Amino acid sequence: MNKQYTFKKEDEEFFGAVGSFGVPKFDGEMHGGVPRGFTMVSFTDTGSGSELFGKQFTSPAEESENTLYVSTNEGQQEIARVFKKYGWPLDINVRTIGEEYNSEVLEKELLASRYRLEGFRLEDIQRLAQTRFVDETHQDYLTEVTNEIMSLGPYFRVVIDNLDFFLQREDNSKVVAMVRMLQAHAQLMRGLLLINISNDGLNPSIKQELASIADMVLSFKVRTIGTDFETSMIVSKFRNAPENLKILVFRVTPAEGITPETVERIS
Amino acid sequence: MQPAAVYTRDRCVTGIHGLDEILRGGIPYGSTVLASGTCGSGKTTVAMEFLVRGALAGEACAHFTATEPSVKLLENIRQFAFFDMNMVDTGLINVFDMDVLYSWLGLEKSSFDLDDVHALIKAIVDIVNTIGVTRLVIDSVTTLCYKIKSEQLIRDFLFTLGKKLSTLGCTTILVSEITSATENAHWSSFGVEEAIADGILVMGDVERMGHLLRFLQVVKMRGTSHSRAKHAIELTPIGVMLTPMLKWGAQSDKQGRWGA
Repeated sequence: MNKQYTFKKEDEEFFGAVGSFGVPKFDGEMHGGVPRGFTMVSFTDTGSGSELFGKQFTSPAEESENTLYVSTNEGQQEIARVFKKYGWPLDINVRTIGEEYNSEVLEKELLASRYRLEGFRLEDIQRLAQTRFVDETHQDYLTEVTNEIMSLGPYFRVVIDNLDFFLQREDNSKVVAMVRMLQAHAQLMRGLLLINISNDGLNPSIKQELASIADMVLSFKVRTIGTDFETSMIVSKFRNAPENLKILVFRVTPAEGITPETVERIS
Repeated sequence: MQPAAVYTRDRCVTGIHGLDEILRGGIPYGSTVLASGTCGSGKTTVAMEFLVRGALAGEACAHFTATEPSVKLLENIRQFAFFDMNMVDTGLINVFDMDVLYSWLGLEKSSFDLDDVHALIKAIVDIVNTIGVTRLVIDSVTTLCYKIKSEQLIRDFLFTLGKKLSTLGCTTILVSEITSATENAHWSSFGVEEAIADGILVMGDVERMGHLLRFLQVVKMRGTSHSRAKHAIELTPIGVMLTPMLKWGAQSDKQGRWGA
């Protein structure tokens, strides 16, 4: 039998049936926002603004302790700087897997290479002779992140930017299974989950599978027009609301971050 | 006519009661000796006493342990009167956990390739060279060689390691685990260790009137003449004691622990 969760009436009233994307104009285009329980997957081009959209998506942060931003590329300081710049809440949970990986795995590998190439110095040998146990820091980041999200309560809001880190290091079927679990959790808890994935090098069958799991599929594109760049987002899947399928050109403004151009342009 | 001068190699005096007499003064310096034995035959204790006796003489010693954690090894060795924890604290005896060494070298894998083997040799030689180790024990070489999948690579590893340690004047005991110590048995797990080693000490058990007696036999020792007789060994709080077994009867010596 499927798991069930009983929501409090006052919570249902407070959170409502839909949540904001953090982009008011985009909320308007999507007839109010994103339905609670939705998992969104966005396939992104490099430089198309998806990272900023991910951060902006956390900005409504109805409950900061229940809001999590997982970054695999940026550091805490870099993220905080962007949040400060746009005036988005700084009290949400931020997990920087890239930073953790650098300090826990890459630094260790670098040190091992140094020992192998240059050998041990006297102080290294003295430390080695006094080290009795192996530092068990093997990190299973995929399981850790999955568990962290699965432990979030009702109406959570999570962004994973981006899934490439896991797809490059883990068995892809395991990563897809993780997304499937998180989608089920988001549905059960009426949470909102946004996952960014780069288009570059993504296996078409994995892309297809992720798109079929997702409730909403976005694509972030960038192209050049003359000497300018044009960024756009394409909503190619919106479960049970095909009327929301759209192509929206957007720009980034200092005041609002990502802002769709909702007025039709004259070409 | 004057007799030709007899050349004798300098010896590393093991300090183990009875063993130096068998070896006519000790192990020739810089030798790589395989200490092969069945489980519980006293390999680790013999190897550890070899180091402790060296430390007592002021020599720097190193022990690489792969079969038991160093914490446990040091706890077990504390029961011997000849051992003093100060030897570890002052750096005369340096005990290294192989799993820590593997981790530091990025060798946390199930099998080693040529680069890995070279990295391991370099690390051990570095340690010996940097702290001036003259007595070294690897316990056990069998556990280490399990990670080296090719027989040729095991041969290269042991040969290169032995050669480099010998050049540095380091006398080495490689502890080897075997399942049988009878005369038909191999003296090593992979077969190549015994061919490369300069010396082989075999340890096992023989049954005598319902008791298991530990024995030690020097099968091979390049650079010295030696007795090849089996000697009973006893692990006492004051050290390992070797006594000849021959007078107890040759017939029952053939009844090894695992059958003749």
